Amino acid sequence: MIGEHRARLGGSDSTIADRIPVLAALIALIFAVFGVRLFQLQFIQTDDLRRRSERNYVRTLRLEAPRGDILDREGRTLATTRPAFAVQVIPNDLRHPDLTLDALSALIDRDAGELQTALGTPRGRARFQPVQLAADLSYDQRARLESHLYALTGVVTDVRPRRHYVEGELAAHLLGSIGEIQRAQLETRRFADYRSGEVIGQSGVESVMQSELRGRAGGRNLVVNVAGRVEGMLDEIEPVPGGTVTLTLDLDMQRAAEAAFLPEVLGEPSRMGAVVALDVRSGDVLAMVSKPSYDPNAFAGGIAAGTWRGLVEDEWRPLQNRVIAGNYPPGSTYKAFVAAAGLEEGLVDPARKVFCPGTFRLGRRTYRCWKKGGHGPVDMHRALVESCDVYFYQLGLELGIDRLAFFARGFGLGRSTKIPLPNEQAGLVPTSAWKERRFNEPWMLGETVSASIGQGFNLTTPLQLAVAYGAIANGGTLLRPRLVLRVVDPDGQVTDAPPPETLGSVPVAPEHLARVRNALEGVVQGPGGTGSRSRVPGVRVAGKSGTSQVVGLEHTEGLDDDEVQIRHRDHAWFVAYAPAEAPEVVVAALVEHGGSGGAAAAPVVQRVLAAYFGVPDAPPAGPPAGPPPPAEPEVPEESTSDDEATRVAEAPGADDAGD
Amino acid sequence: MPAIDRRLIQNFDWTLLGLVAILSCLGLVNLFSATHGGEGLSGEMRRQLMAFGLGTLVALVVTAVDYRHYERLALPVFAVALGLLVLTLLIAPVTRGSQSWLFGGRVQPAEVSKLALVLVLARYFQRNPPGDVTRLRDLVVPGAIIALPVGLIVAQRDMGVALLTLLIGSTYLPLVRIPWRAWAGVAALALAALAALWSFGLAPYQKERILAVVDPGRDPLASGYQVNQSRIAIGSGGLFGTGYMQGTQTQLRFLPTQHTDFAFSVVAEEWGFAGSCVVLGLYATLLFWGLVVARSSKDDFGALLAIGVVGCLFWPAVLNVAMVLGLAPVIGVPLPLFSYGGSAMVITLAAVGLLMNVSMRRYVF
Repeated sequence: MIGEHRARLGGSDSTIADRIPVLAALIALIFAVFGVRLFQLQFIQTDDLRRRSERNYVRTLRLEAPRGDILDREGRTLATTRPAFAVQVIPNDLRHPDLTLDALSALIDRDAGELQTALGTPRGRARFQPVQLAADLSYDQRARLESHLYALTGVVTDVRPRRHYVEGELAAHLLGSIGEIQRAQLETRRFADYRSGEVIGQSGVESVMQSELRGRAGGRNLVVNVAGRVEGMLDEIEPVPGGTVTLTLDLDMQRAAEAAFLPEVLGEPSRMGAVVALDVRSGDVLAMVSKPSYDPNAFAGGIAAGTWRGLVEDEWRPLQNRVIAGNYPPGSTYKAFVAAAGLEEGLVDPARKVFCPGTFRLGRRTYRCWKKGGHGPVDMHRALVESCDVYFYQLGLELGIDRLAFFARGFGLGRSTKIPLPNEQAGLVPTSAWKERRFNEPWMLGETVSASIGQGFNLTTPLQLAVAYGAIANGGTLLRPRLVLRVVDPDGQVTDAPPPETLGSVPVAPEHLARVRNALEGVVQGPGGTGSRSRVPGVRVAGKSGTSQVVGLEHTEGLDDDEVQIRHRDHAWFVAYAPAEAPEVVVAALVEHGGSGGAAAAPVVQRVLAAYFGVPDAPPAGPPAGPPPPAEPEVPEESTSDDEATRVAEAPGADDAGD
Repeated sequence: MPAIDRRLIQNFDWTLLGLVAILSCLGLVNLFSATHGGEGLSGEMRRQLMAFGLGTLVALVVTAVDYRHYERLALPVFAVALGLLVLTLLIAPVTRGSQSWLFGGRVQPAEVSKLALVLVLARYFQRNPPGDVTRLRDLVVPGAIIALPVGLIVAQRDMGVALLTLLIGSTYLPLVRIPWRAWAGVAALALAALAALWSFGLAPYQKERILAVVDPGRDPLASGYQVNQSRIAIGSGGLFGTGYMQGTQTQLRFLPTQHTDFAFSVVAEEWGFAGSCVVLGLYATLLFWGLVVARSSKDDFGALLAIGVVGCLFWPAVLNVAMVLGLAPVIGVPLPLFSYGGSAMVITLAAVGLLMNVSMRRYVF
């Protein structure tokens, strides 16, 4: 059989053997191509392909920097960052999803159905990604969970920094709140180096000091497999915490100011309004309260939609910082500026007296003084002390609306105080030109009468009044309110310590201011003054009350105080500084719908001043001896004549502020 | 059975054994890296080792019998292989779009048919020397021989193996003496056939795979995904690789079918340019050595068998590496001795046994 083969000895001469070099050449050619291709991929393109390989398996987990603390001027913590414990599950690792969720629900006090909803039904790669079921466990919940964690396969805990406002509602508007950065913000230059999802300060100091408080986020490079499952860690860059911001705020004064709004009688609703206290030498904001308020902790982990809607839609506007954004007619507190203007313009002879019969006639109309029987003959000092309306009607008419406006603006009214907080309102100082522009109508003399006692078109924020009275107190310097004493970075280096700044001087000579100060001291310390309820034992206080009308008299005429609807009651003002002989601190208080300034707002000021001077348990109100202060409404009781439009505080006219 | 001739021992082809042994070891070591995870050996690893053992036994048996007896066996073996292919079509279940497994997924008859085809073609060209083949019509019979298994494999929808079988059959073409003008005609016909195949014969996913070679960025998450990930794996290997069992593409499973079709990407990632060149160099040496064996064989049948074996090793290796390097479409062709797959392993070792058989008997009459 084998013999049948056509054997070819020395195969080299066979036709087959001839062709073998061709085959060899083909093989060599193809393997050469492979070599070139390998060289191309592994030598020329290797850097690019290696990067793409890293993109495949390296997941960078962002480690948020703990936000810097916010302290009061004594170093007491107002806002800090604490670890918050969250529960997550990795769906793929859950052995018995239903049993696990039931157990979890018992351990961390959450509804099992709610957990099921949070878990959803992840598929594919998502099965390896942690799903957050609950954020911010309490200490007990965490302890219970951790002691059972060994039995709950697929359940993991995660620790994240979470903002914590130690004092809850205290100074909520000043401190502000945080929230996820919004798309519109991301597009601005200020947030150029921010990323979507980052949490930033959205109001108050949190917003103003965002870049100082932010810190620097770190990162952790994780190794993940094709399914996205974490297989290990490559490296980690620790986050750098944000700087510590020390405010000018004084926690004791702030507490006193907050407490002053608690109802005096149990069961009554808390009062609304605003208080601000400034150091008249530096402009430091020592206390700032706006009521109603809210707990900024609700914002810390992303605010619940319902809570947010509630805050936004509340008719009393708890999110508004009334100290800087509440526009109110200044009422009789305005008289100090009118008096200063009269002195400066030489219209007020200290000896000159105006007779107050209780009414004031201008043309067909009669304007009343708050005191029905009239004050009789009053000089400037007594007119301020007893807040005689008729005296200021007269003086206001002599000055004229535009000179009045010049001085009001000179005291910083009608323009921003440049406090470093967002959303400050400028108030409104009316002039004849303004009215022409706004209403296309000429200015009426009767409007000057209203304006002279801080009614009519006048609108002022509590902060503007505090700055203006601060200037009266310190001899004429308008100070820019200062909020931040210093910023200290995590290494202990002071990175910023803003010096006090002035906004200019008031256009009134020092001796005239001294005369006004003398009268303001009489308001509190003197007999018959309207501000005796702001007295602090051992300290001489100077101040001025004010009551600003919210609605026309037709809503309140003939009704007892208790019968007037709350929203129709007058706003109560009191602005005071102390010590009168060498002023250090000025406090402006506004109690919305509180009624008379001397009765409702002066006690608020008194509590803040008492806290400043460290006077313990100051008597709630009134002088320890002597007659009770007159409980005057101070509102000019205008004759209910026809065409006089009623003005409501916070009316839309405020938009035209800045005139 | 012929008695064991002392010259058989003297002429034992240590070079061939050494090359195949080194390649097999590298293949197994590489497969371990591509499949490890969990405790002990992976299932794939164990089955591959068993196939390697079985293949070695088969190779020994194939080597023991003088290859000249195989001429008589060629037709029956071919008939059995075709029978198995028909049987597969009749009874095998459809898995992953093709119908190519027998006996509970343990045997792939298409693999067997490749070796059977080599036997029967060697027998044909031994009787009809390729030097006498000068006209295209002389290719009708061998063409028909090739078309039989290829047609049956196409019917199984296993395009990769069908193409491979066709190419292995065509290994003999460079031996014939047909003028180049005739080849131009064949080329035209082939192009027409390809165009027809593109229009009617290929499923959309198969077209996508071909287009993905031209432009891997086309659809990086679907058909281009494998090519892309393979390129990333190879490129990130750089000159010296990421180190054994250190390749992130491999170990983190970004590389698709890394233990079968993309086993060479694992080599390239973990051993780099240097390692890839060593493996490709070993392959090239093995193929050249096969040609040396063909050239030095004492008869045409031996030479034809050796060339057929070279074809059996060359085509899958070339198609696989070209696919892995992104030079050819993704078709399921395993890299001999490296890719996981029992039937391919056994058949590859059997083919090597055949080559050894021819090599050992070059001086024996």
